[in-house]
Amino acid sequence: MSFFDITIPFDQSHLFFPRIITWLLCGLFVLVVIQNARPIISKYRSGGMTELLDLEGFHKFKFFGTVALVVVYFIMMDVVGGWFPNMGFGFLFVSMPFICLMGLMYVHEITRRTLTTIVIVSLASPLLAWFVLARLFHITLP
Amino acid sequence: MEFLSALSPLFFLLIVFGVLVGIIFGSIPGMTATMAVAVCLPLTYALDLTNGLALLLGLYVGGITGGLVPAVLLKIPGTPSSITTTFDGYPMAQRGEGERALKIGIVASLFGGVFSAIILFLFAPILSDFAIKFSYIEKFLIIFLALTVIASLSGNMLMGIFSGVLGVWLSLIGTYSITDGGNGELRLMFDFMVPYLESGFSLLPVLIGLFGLGTVFIEAEQGVKKEVSSQSLRMSDQVRFSMSVFRGKLVNLLRSSSIGTFVGMLPGIGGSAASVLAYTQEKNFSRDPSQMGKGAPQGLVASESANNSLTGGALIPLLSLGIPGDSTTAILIGAFTLQGIQVGPLFIGDNLDTWYTMVFALLVANFVMFAIMFFAIKHIAKVVAVPKYILYPVIIMMCVVGAYAINYGIMFDVWTLFIFGVFGYVAHKVGIEIPPLIIGFILGSSAEIYFVKSLESYGNFMIFFTKSPIAVFLWVLIFMSIAFSIYLNIKSRRKRSDEVETQT
Amino acid sequence: MKKTILALSVAIAGTGAFNTAMAEEEAPIDGNLRIVIGSTSTGGDTYQNSEIVAQQLSDKLDMNVKVDAVGATEAFKALERSPDGNTMMIFHDMAYLGHLYGVRGYENVFEEFNVGPSIAINPGNAYLVAKDSPYETLDDIKEAVADGERVRVSIQPGGVSEIGFSALKNAIRIEHPGAEENLVAVNSGSQSDKNQQMFDGLADVINGSVQANEQFTRLPEDDQKAMRFVWLTARQDTIEQTLEEGMGETTREELLEFTEPNVTVTQDGEKNFTFDKEFFFIYNEDMDQEIVDYMDEALAEIYDEGEIQKTQKQSFFIPNFKPSDESEEYLQEKMNEYEEIINSID
Repeated sequence: MSFFDITIPFDQSHLFFPRIITWLLCGLFVLVVIQNARPIISKYRSGGMTELLDLEGFHKFKFFGTVALVVVYFIMMDVVGGWFPNMGFGFLFVSMPFICLMGLMYVHEITRRTLTTIVIVSLASPLLAWFVLARLFHITLP
Repeated sequence: MEFLSALSPLFFLLIVFGVLVGIIFGSIPGMTATMAVAVCLPLTYALDLTNGLALLLGLYVGGITGGLVPAVLLKIPGTPSSITTTFDGYPMAQRGEGERALKIGIVASLFGGVFSAIILFLFAPILSDFAIKFSYIEKFLIIFLALTVIASLSGNMLMGIFSGVLGVWLSLIGTYSITDGGNGELRLMFDFMVPYLESGFSLLPVLIGLFGLGTVFIEAEQGVKKEVSSQSLRMSDQVRFSMSVFRGKLVNLLRSSSIGTFVGMLPGIGGSAASVLAYTQEKNFSRDPSQMGKGAPQGLVASESANNSLTGGALIPLLSLGIPGDSTTAILIGAFTLQGIQVGPLFIGDNLDTWYTMVFALLVANFVMFAIMFFAIKHIAKVVAVPKYILYPVIIMMCVVGAYAINYGIMFDVWTLFIFGVFGYVAHKVGIEIPPLIIGFILGSSAEIYFVKSLESYGNFMIFFTKSPIAVFLWVLIFMSIAFSIYLNIKSRRKRSDEVETQT
Repeated sequence: MKKTILALSVAIAGTGAFNTAMAEEEAPIDGNLRIVIGSTSTGGDTYQNSEIVAQQLSDKLDMNVKVDAVGATEAFKALERSPDGNTMMIFHDMAYLGHLYGVRGYENVFEEFNVGPSIAINPGNAYLVAKDSPYETLDDIKEAVADGERVRVSIQPGGVSEIGFSALKNAIRIEHPGAEENLVAVNSGSQSDKNQQMFDGLADVINGSVQANEQFTRLPEDDQKAMRFVWLTARQDTIEQTLEEGMGETTREELLEFTEPNVTVTQDGEKNFTFDKEFFFIYNEDMDQEIVDYMDEALAEIYDEGEIQKTQKQSFFIPNFKPSDESEEYLQEKMNEYEEIINSID
């Protein structure tokens, strides 16, 4: 047995590489912390978390609105999809209000023109996507 | 040229149709060439072999090329192999050169596609004999070489390497897959995660989550600013596309296409490694790599010529060993079997006509792709002019479709999209670098398989150095690649400090 | 032959892409039918088989039938969530072999799910050696192992690829007790990995298939890629049902030289071990009996018409329809036999 010899039992082989990577990752993390500790602390001292994470001009409404909308979108898609198994209706019917609401949230001024565009797009694009993919190409959608 | 007489107008029509559908699939984030071929496979039941192949090869070429479009215009890789296209393509699009970037991309794609088709035609049997000299060891070294790109791609080298290793770590979550030769056991997770994460995170949802949804979150935080898109459209007249951009890039084209063809023909390495490797090698060997990653055409050229040359490359083991080079060619095996044709080492000799037809179809498909894209680009490029309040919701919707469909209907993949969207946002805040991370993620699981299998088979670490002359050669490349990135890093740091001095 | 392909293709295509008609009123399944399969590959035999059946079912039931290659873990999960019959699974012997070999994620399909009708056999499961190997036949291998030589067999652990290896090991245990330790498994993944292990000299014998490896057996001996069949695990009468021209240039008659009784691996000292890779439906445990009967009936009609058999044989599959009850009983019995083999070599 020389220094470089190694045996990996098959039933343990799933842990061999992840262990190496985990240690490597931890080591690198320590190095990153050491390298960046001073600038981080000085930034935090001067301006708190806002300065540190560059949160100036943080649009709470748009950011959390986006996150919430996306979460609700994903949940509802699955729920509605469950009512009509394998038809892709969950995707079709939930995408429409999602696109509409997100559009309304992002648009800067609601005029008749922007409103019409948003409504048309929110009705047409899910329908088109659903028809082409689920109907013509038989791709399974939620 | 006898086979030509057997071709009907339908043959060409099907190529055009295939390329068109392929481009559309490739352009949708999360929809891949593989999926395009899979969903159109049933259409070929009604066709004979020649026409069926025309359709499928058209889809293949179109699908691979289509990935370029969202990569350049939206910074979302349409297929995993176009990841490196975003590095230079998107900065160009931001400067208002989207149309130019796309044109450079398709010219490079055409070159790569045709190059690999010619290599396929002339050298398939010889190359496949060479390819089987690549055992676990050499395959691991190729992946390792591709991973060294992490060092040279990162802004801050330490942070880049950390991000890359994190990507590898994330790719290991889940089971050690039996179908790849693992033992099917779980690792790196808590019990409550098991029902969701048994199969780990899938590549495509991770990719479009980081690039697609992550970007939307970042923009949302800043209030989704308004003017950017119309501005860039106005600027688009400034730099026009001309073929002169390819002057002095022949070496790059040849090198990248060779890398693409070669990596394509090694089963199990995966297409994404090709463009990553080509991109690094361009960075290491070109005279002036300083602009790469900031919108340099040479990066685009390397990436796109490499990923299109995968097509011919992946067909080499398929047609001369009966082994698919990537997931798309795996489906082609099904198409052959349905037509009663068997692929294997004797395929070419037994089916000369089919063989000629395939190479011909592949060539035609590349030119058709070029023609379609060249005229469509002007219109496609206008995507950037679509206001964000329309563009973003629709992108999210398409990402959902792609994520859900990539593994044929798994809801967790859609949640992966969300998880990595949030992760992408946080990473942006804390300075984790996304490109190294994603490269680590793409290559991580094959690195594991080949590393562990090498040691299992040979039981000695030294085997990585002593296995074969090929292994030694790969080590030379690896050391060169690492040395170059350290050199570049030092140079850019010195330059930066020089600039600081001159400013003060 | 050309004509049959054409006729079939037209028949299949007609039922395929654009079928938007709704199901008949008395049909117990609403909406679309989704068939999930235990493989993630859309180029493999499970997908092909399922696709052939799905096309026919879609025609017969007048509804959209879609095959989704989600892989075993996800397929079982999808099945658990769907007691209403909108999602069914098609898989092969791996479904219970995975359980026998203790692979994570494989429950006992007979307890957790309902086993439905079987539809086809892939007769191609094979073991091969390099053409310049010192072992000419399977008997040579057994003798070598008995003499204390280490013989390495490349397989994908935990399933169809391993069962033949287990049987061989068991046979050696019966004939030369103690020597079976010399037959060792080399765990690998895809077919290309297994081939590669042979080229690299890491394996003496590999598991493969008639479909994927036949051309390698026709290469000249001086080609480093050349291989030779030593054993087909299928039953003799399964191979007898293949088309006469066999696969590639290897005729049915030649293939029969590698099955029992020409090549034998004993199961218990008397009976010969055989393994046919069979494809069958798996249902949610709570799925209505009405739907089970409905599917049995539909498939029975499809097989009576006789078209599907031609398509299957064309793709080197053996038609093998058994209605649910028969199929479940048969497969349960099959599982019990293999359980004994696997337990006896542990």
